[in-house]
Amino acid sequence: MDTLYKILSIAIITCIACIIIKPIRPDFAIIISVIGGVIIVFYLLTYLGSIFETFNTIFNFSGLNSSLYSVVFKIIGVGYLTEFTASICSDTGNQSLGDKVLLGGKVMILVMALPIVTSILDIVMELLPK
Amino acid sequence: MDIDIIFKIAAVGILTAVVGQILKNSGKEDISTLATLAGVVIVLFMVLGMIGQLFDTIKAMFNF
Repeated sequence: MDTLYKILSIAIITCIACIIIKPIRPDFAIIISVIGGVIIVFYLLTYLGSIFETFNTIFNFSGLNSSLYSVVFKIIGVGYLTEFTASICSDTGNQSLGDKVLLGGKVMILVMALPIVTSILDIVMELLPK
Repeated sequence: MDIDIIFKIAAVGILTAVVGQILKNSGKEDISTLATLAGVVIVLFMVLGMIGQLFDTIKAMFNF
């Protein structure tokens, strides 16, 4: 519970620092906001690690092949990274660049998801009577 | 990985602004632009280091 307070206080301190530094040097304000986000994410990574462990054990019980599982996690990672970059782009004001980054992330996720779709189709084709 | 890096960046920003102003008023415009540029480069190196570390951790966690 104290991590939540830490995260909230970091966010507030970063916003105040941004406001203070904006009139003096506007470019540092954006850098400070990005770094505040990075620090918050670092605090969250420890919790993410434990969440992934529990997912891993649950997934092993289900007995599916692990390639499916790693693709799902890769997609989550790609989704987060593209959202991180897109929000930085929209922060600095170039919204169109952020949208293009999101498009690129979606394309990459689709590329990663295709083998799953094909494997499902193969399974369905086997079930159908010849 | 704590809050002090935000204050460090803010301090560098204020210092570069002050140094730039002093140099500008003392008649050395070209040096003041260089000083401001140096401040920005220092901050960028700090920031890029941290973002690189973030990307590596995420890559390791999501086993890219």
